[in-house]
Amino acid sequence: MMRRLANIGLLLAAAVLCYGLQTTRPHYADLIAPIPVYGNLKDDVALRTFTVRADAVTFACTLAIEQFGRRRLLTTGGVWAIVTVALSAKDSTTTIAAATWKGPGGLLYDTTERLSLAPGMPPVTVQPGLPGKGRLVFEIRPDEASEATLLVSEARYFALDSQAHIALGPIAVRPDGLPEGTVETFDLSKDL
Amino acid sequence: MGTDEKTMFATARSRIKAWIAAGAGSAAAIAVAGMMGAFGALHRPPAVLAPGQPIDTGQWLATPRRAYLSGEGAYGLPLKPGDRALVVEIELENRTAQSGKDYFDLLRPLTPIGEPDAKPFVVLTRDETMSPALQPGLPERMAYVWAMPDGSTPPKAVTLAIDGKVYKAQDNLYGTPGWFNRHELGTLTMPVGADATTPDLRP
Repeated sequence: MMRRLANIGLLLAAAVLCYGLQTTRPHYADLIAPIPVYGNLKDDVALRTFTVRADAVTFACTLAIEQFGRRRLLTTGGVWAIVTVALSAKDSTTTIAAATWKGPGGLLYDTTERLSLAPGMPPVTVQPGLPGKGRLVFEIRPDEASEATLLVSEARYFALDSQAHIALGPIAVRPDGLPEGTVETFDLSKDL
Repeated sequence: MGTDEKTMFATARSRIKAWIAAGAGSAAAIAVAGMMGAFGALHRPPAVLAPGQPIDTGQWLATPRRAYLSGEGAYGLPLKPGDRALVVEIELENRTAQSGKDYFDLLRPLTPIGEPDAKPFVVLTRDETMSPALQPGLPERMAYVWAMPDGSTPPKAVTLAIDGKVYKAQDNLYGTPGWFNRHELGTLTMPVGADATTPDLRP
């Protein structure tokens, strides 16, 4: 009888211990989460394999692109955010393929898939010693423009690697709800 | 009573005991599952959804707008000569916190269209981009285009099943958040217009 009670007690103790570990220890997803490297606009942010610097942020209502010899205008239900970045590889050829606009509300906007073939679009490949430029285009809600963070990494999904978290700072809002300095049309076909 | 009979009865008794124990355990498990709502999904007739009304599918706020037949390619999609296309236009708003394109399984035609299990092309109507990721909080009108081979009878109305998914903060394998357990939310019947001038359906 005592032996049985002791067994039950041991089982309960093990269950409590397991539950405690499950609730207090970090999750697998947190353990392998991106390692943030923080910086501000115009700062060089050095990651494991490359360095990124966000030079300028422009907002636009419409994008103009040249596709197959034809000029197209891309409209949006929100606002276009264009970030020009300078990229340099550390010691081997590096392809930077993923960038995300993280709004103040925590919404995550990946670079748009609505355009391709424009100069500077990711993926951008840079060779060591030969810095390059990239243009990251996001389609965002106007209220996610101010106090946003730009996340840049080599790949969209990865484990145990660094990711740039670049604070883009406050942006004033115009009476029509769009960010201050929003241009009507931004021409993406011109070189960086 | 011989020794054999004794052991026989003893095994029978222990067997009955085991059955009772197992039965009680199963009954308790079913009762607990029932209390936690496991039978809530059983035998529930699919809801009848109305076009023009927003439908919350979990990831998307979907508002079906119109359905029509197209003789030539719709939204820049080429068709084989003689083929027609069934186009279903639906407004989608991404309700999640990140860009996504998990909308291919949203609509399942119950009315036979062309080849069985044919996957539709999904096009952004704004500028004919093929299946782009949609941004959180920015509604867009998307066209689901099914090719109908030459000779197939065009339906007068199309019935679609709308599927939703359930959010899990931690999946069982990696503990990451995601959308799982696709399930049918209801069915929707839309009249099929003759051409691209078909007006939007009002609720």
